[in-house]
Amino acid sequence: MDITPTDIGLVARVAHLGKSYGTASNPVSALSDVSIGIRRGEFTAIMGPSGSGKSTLMHIMAGLDTASSGQAWLGDTEITTLDDARLTVLRRRRVGFVFQAFNLVPTLDIIGNILLPFELDGRKPTSDEQKWIDHLVVTLGLSDRLKHRPHELSGGQQQRVAIARALATRPDLVFADEPTGNLDSRTGREVLTLLAAASKEYGQSIAMVTHDPIAASFADRIVFLADGRVVEDRGASSAADISTFMLGMEAHA
Amino acid sequence: MNGLKEHGPSVLVAGLSSAFGVSLVATTGVLSQIIAGDDRASAIETVTMILTFIAFVFIAIATYVGAVVTANTFSTIVAGRARTIALLRLIGSSARTQRRAVATEGLVVGVTGSLLGALVGIAVTWGITTAGVAMDQIPDDAYTFVSPIALLPVVTVVLTTWAASWIGSRRVLNVSPMEATGAAQETSLDEAGRRRGRNVTALVLFVLGIGILLLGMVVGLVSPLGVLIGVVGGLLSFTGVVLGAAVIMPRALRITGRLFGSSATARLAAENAVRYPERSARTTIGLVIGVTLVTMFAVAVESYQAMIRAAQEAQPDVYQGTDQILVITVVVFSVLMGFSALIAAVGMVNNLSLNVLQRTRELGLLRALGFTARQIRTMILAESAQLTLAAVIVGLLLGTFYGWAGAQSLLGSISGSPGLITPAVPLVLVGVIVLAAVVLTAVASVAPSRRATRIAPVAALAVQ
Repeated sequence: MDITPTDIGLVARVAHLGKSYGTASNPVSALSDVSIGIRRGEFTAIMGPSGSGKSTLMHIMAGLDTASSGQAWLGDTEITTLDDARLTVLRRRRVGFVFQAFNLVPTLDIIGNILLPFELDGRKPTSDEQKWIDHLVVTLGLSDRLKHRPHELSGGQQQRVAIARALATRPDLVFADEPTGNLDSRTGREVLTLLAAASKEYGQSIAMVTHDPIAASFADRIVFLADGRVVEDRGASSAADISTFMLGMEAHA
Repeated sequence: MNGLKEHGPSVLVAGLSSAFGVSLVATTGVLSQIIAGDDRASAIETVTMILTFIAFVFIAIATYVGAVVTANTFSTIVAGRARTIALLRLIGSSARTQRRAVATEGLVVGVTGSLLGALVGIAVTWGITTAGVAMDQIPDDAYTFVSPIALLPVVTVVLTTWAASWIGSRRVLNVSPMEATGAAQETSLDEAGRRRGRNVTALVLFVLGIGILLLGMVVGLVSPLGVLIGVVGGLLSFTGVVLGAAVIMPRALRITGRLFGSSATARLAAENAVRYPERSARTTIGLVIGVTLVTMFAVAVESYQAMIRAAQEAQPDVYQGTDQILVITVVVFSVLMGFSALIAAVGMVNNLSLNVLQRTRELGLLRALGFTARQIRTMILAESAQLTLAAVIVGLLLGTFYGWAGAQSLLGSISGSPGLITPAVPLVLVGVIVLAAVVLTAVASVAPSRRATRIAPVAALAVQ
């Protein structure tokens, strides 16, 4: 292949990806022959019902899990061949994470959590990066919380800290795994607005796994998975349209 | 069931305590027979009496160490089972039933460990005696290894293990059924409430114990029986230290935590070591007890030897033949030291492992965010080192004091007027303790690091 993923505007790509669990005699397939690309600068939602393989797909794309077959790239790096140490450094420098809960290290204060990826690299942020971090802290309304511990913050504030940490290293791709799953709907909407803004204003590529049509309606593009396969790939849609499509998927199943 | 994995260390601790007690009773019997048959020593009665006292003092102490370690292990196990217990509470099981179930496990652990330990204890004493006879070190005689008194440590270990599991299972009462729903995060706040009351108890015990210990030292000026009063004071004041460990140990850990630099790994390790005062106290207190004991006996024996040497120079005729007894005493004491330290080390290794096991989720998060397996290993090693170092420092200080107090109350009357004994700290043994601590640090971190680095970031995040 002469065309690299970057050339065609993709920040991440998987080709013929498969993942199965269980024993050799009784394999349970989580993903089978999935091929998609995440476009640079876009906010992509990966949707599907429970057990559709959406989390597994995200985990493999983020270098958190290994594939059983097929290939995955982050930028121009093929990550399916990397060993654990290289994958770790890749996650630290080139990927950002926002999880549903338990995002923050409880023993570190807020600023310590935001700076953790830099510290793991054994370096201080450059003056340019420091300006960016300061900007994020102000924008996300965390200025007076920097010395607090995670448990002193509300769920929404904790998610904002996670977003600040995920954006701080300006990673190739931010993965968000049900980022609003633990929040009330108003706080959830705030968090989604922040993610959408990060994509729009800073050109940050974001891939979000969710089963919530309202969350997905904030995205530029929605990929639907069912039973380990991509069943639909469409542009920005309203929550109502997304719900209708998902109900249709259920009816076919 | 993973019962063996969870309770293996507690069975080992009960076994060690019981083996120790049984073997000590048997050895004392053998030693008394040897001394009775040796007509050269004229100070027979005093020495036999002291040996018997020491044997029972040691049995009390070993059982106590074992009980503290077991209680702490059960606390940690219960903390790890909070979700399961909460689920059972949710579907209608009462807290009392749950607690009784844990205590029953403790009884099984105690019986199993104690019986196995008793067999090992008899076998070890028989082995050492037979070897001693074969090498012409001790006279050939019909020694008895099984005496009714040996039942005392066996039964005591069963009962203390049972009691320890009951005390350690106290947290069951604080588990809310809500914890099963996953809404509650792991907290240590529930433990904070009862801490104030406990601290007062700790302080009272400590002050009272020190008072009795001082009384024992005064009585020791006229009679070796002062040591019995001293032991009561020592046990009380040390129980105060153990109960107040959640206050004392985090302070010591704050100090040792600063020694490891300011990298993210070191800072996290330092914070982990003090994040749950109760838990870090639990992890370190066994080792504090071990080091205190080792230091205590090292200091006591050194003081004893210094006194005997001085006496030998003054009255060579009277103290002829005490050299051999002294050698036996030192050997016996060294084995005793090894035992208490071993029990403590088992507790420490087990607690560190359980702590890491219960932090699966957090370690998974760190791996996801870019902690390499190596950084995780370094972090756990640094944590282990801090815990060990803090325990060793506190133990050395306490041990020197108790050792001197013990020597004073036991030997004050023998030492002649004015009967004051200078504390003698054997630097070689201090060096050995520090070296052993370094080895323990490394050993204690092996299993947890292996377990921690095996945690796949995904597996940890999937825990809901």
